[in-house]
Amino acid sequence: MSNLIVGASSGLGREIAYEFARNSKNLILISRNLKDLEILKSDLEIKFKIEVNVFQLDFSDLNKVSKFILDNKKVLEKIDGVLFPIGMMRENDNIKNSNDDLIGIFSANFYSINFFITHILNIFEEKKNGFIVGFGSISGAIGREINVSYSSAKRALENYFESLIISNLKNHIKVQFYILGYLDTNLSFEKKLLLPKGSPVNLAKIVYKNLDKKGIKKFFPFWWIFIDMAIKILPFFITKKIIKFFN
Amino acid sequence: MTKKKIYSLDKNYSADIFFKRPDKYKEIEIISSKFENIITMGSCNSYTPASFRKNALSIQLTKFNRIIEFDKSQKLITVEAGIMLSDLFNFTLARGLWVPQIPGYPTITIGGAIASNSHGKSCGFHGTIKKQIKRIKIFHKLHGWLNLSNEENKDIFDLTIGGLGLTGSIVEVQLRLEELSGNNFVTKIIETDSSNDTVKKINFDVKKETYCYSWNRSDSFKNFGKGFVFQNELNISSNNKLTKNIKLNNSDINKNFIINFWNKYSVFFAQSVYQNYFKFLKSKQHEESFQKAIFPFIGKEFYFKLFGKKGFLESQIIVPFDKTEVFIDEVETIFKKHDPLITLYSLKNFKGEQKNLQFENDGICFTFDFVKNSKNLFFMDELDKICEKHLLTPSIIKDSRLKLETIEKCYKDLNRFKEEINKFDNKRIYKSTLTDKLMI
Ligand SMILES: Cc1cc2nc3c(=O)[nH]c(=O)nc-3n(C[C@H](O)[C@H](O)[C@H](O)COP(=O)(O)OP(=O)(O)OC[C@H]3O[C@@H](n4cnc5c(N)ncnc54)[C@H](O)[C@@H]3O)c2cc1C
Repeated sequence: MSNLIVGASSGLGREIAYEFARNSKNLILISRNLKDLEILKSDLEIKFKIEVNVFQLDFSDLNKVSKFILDNKKVLEKIDGVLFPIGMMRENDNIKNSNDDLIGIFSANFYSINFFITHILNIFEEKKNGFIVGFGSISGAIGREINVSYSSAKRALENYFESLIISNLKNHIKVQFYILGYLDTNLSFEKKLLLPKGSPVNLAKIVYKNLDKKGIKKFFPFWWIFIDMAIKILPFFITKKIIKFFN
Repeated sequence: MTKKKIYSLDKNYSADIFFKRPDKYKEIEIISSKFENIITMGSCNSYTPASFRKNALSIQLTKFNRIIEFDKSQKLITVEAGIMLSDLFNFTLARGLWVPQIPGYPTITIGGAIASNSHGKSCGFHGTIKKQIKRIKIFHKLHGWLNLSNEENKDIFDLTIGGLGLTGSIVEVQLRLEELSGNNFVTKIIETDSSNDTVKKINFDVKKETYCYSWNRSDSFKNFGKGFVFQNELNISSNNKLTKNIKLNNSDINKNFIINFWNKYSVFFAQSVYQNYFKFLKSKQHEESFQKAIFPFIGKEFYFKLFGKKGFLESQIIVPFDKTEVFIDEVETIFKKHDPLITLYSLKNFKGEQKNLQFENDGICFTFDFVKNSKNLFFMDELDKICEKHLLTPSIIKDSRLKLETIEKCYKDLNRFKEEINKFDNKRIYKSTLTDKLMI
């Protein structure tokens, strides 16, 4: 039995892989970067004596994801759970994105995850067990000028995971969703941010501890819940004015 | 991209730099392609500005910290170069293996240790880290990925060890491991009454695997050189696998207090207490944990902090055995004349052959830490003159004040090293504040 991590080669995904390895769990790791995956595999196998399988797969290409699922049915049947600490950003993601960028960003952050889960759900339903963990972003709380498609996709993902939680309340499939604020990964490295960054190592520990829980939706770091609430409570015409003021 | 202000550990240099810490192989290539001037950074624990330069990119490789291959029977390990010594040793020591030529602080990276050709406490026996390096993989903006070893690209291999990061980013390293026969040390404390006496006692048997260094007083001319030799020998009777992990202190070695606490009185007080503790309270032979013997600065980071914002200076000089007496004589003469404020004075054995900018030679290595003030700077200038006169080997990675003039005289290979670096990197992409000073 194995646990599948999509987006495992860096940042949060890498920390989750270590947390699972520390708990002696075998792993299947997926990422775009084969070299990074292979090094991670060696390190995990040497240090923790677990079995790790790696697959190079680009989630921004839905056709490739579909082919992967078809080609690896046997592998997927054996998994205990799947985690999606994946997020793809593009540098010029603004209000006027090209078709390719739109498709790429939406596939990586939403469509492919949705599609993958649809297949995994069938397996988990048959097994009457399994966990699915998704990761959203606080950027999905409100519209913005930069990372426009990314934040839209993350908002869609949040909605989808809420549906997933609700649809699986009565069975044994556990679904968890984490909405992430600033994390101390190399995406935020040396960026001056208004609020402190959360530790991906701590988040990985929380994720592992909560795997058995049903229907979780949590913010990390936790204080982002208050910001999210404030954004949602305020009428949009006020939010708009605040944004205009800061611009 | 925003800039970051960064300081050398001795606080004598700072610069606004571009700073990146990639965690994917592709990113090393992408980031490097965007900058004209680059230098690789390990943990930035160097006393000198060796891993940064104004307006250049410092590419920090601490996320490249994994074990790629481990062959216990061949005693070989391949690691990414950003791995910290503590992480490497927590793995190898549990298997009864290690690298003896490692510097005395656990957050230092293997890449940093290789680029400075580090030595450990047993350098009179084991020499420097270059003996343990089998293979290196570097990334260079102009040359891409290169494998280096005695068999492949040997010239660049030699330039890379102790090459201060000038041949590009060391990303992977294969190291030969040594067996560790015991998991702790038996430390013998031998009293010495002068610098010459210390040399005699420290140099007692270079054929034996001892981890030997001294602590000597430096608070006054009267006390100069009095102290102890600490001889750590592996405790063979103990189990040879380390069961306890090396614990890092949370204290950041690069941060310090605002003001300097070291003055004549505090140095006298601290050295008197230290000496009397070892003379009267500590048994002359005791067991010491691996961590304490090999990384003596863990938990003592406050020593650096006490220098305050102005920082400190360190001078480390290898003196050939036949010149130690005359060196000590001349140092004592200038000490008497200038009465410098030296906070630490220590000796250890050294073995090796100097090549390129590598800090090695056969002899005794003298270390002095100074408070930064004009009197001490003057004293250090006099030390430089002694180095130049006797062609001694001063450490480039430790002494940020060291002048090009002195280095030119003491490092016979400097010009050849410059030429070879210029040939390999004809656009001179990889540079630091330290190597600017060397005009490389
Ligand atoms: C408390 C303390 C005790 C020490 N004791 C000793 C000792 O006993 N023996 C000894 O020899 N030294 C000793 N040192 C010095 C230390 O070993 C060197 O300064 C070492 O280079 C620091 O490594 P770092 O990882 O912090 O690298 P940095 O300080 O970041 O960089 C140092 C040099 O290495 C280069 N470099 C770093 N990583 C790479 C890489 N991956 N690829 C290419 N170049 C790279 C940099 O460009 C730079 O030139 C000590 C230092 C401290 C702070």
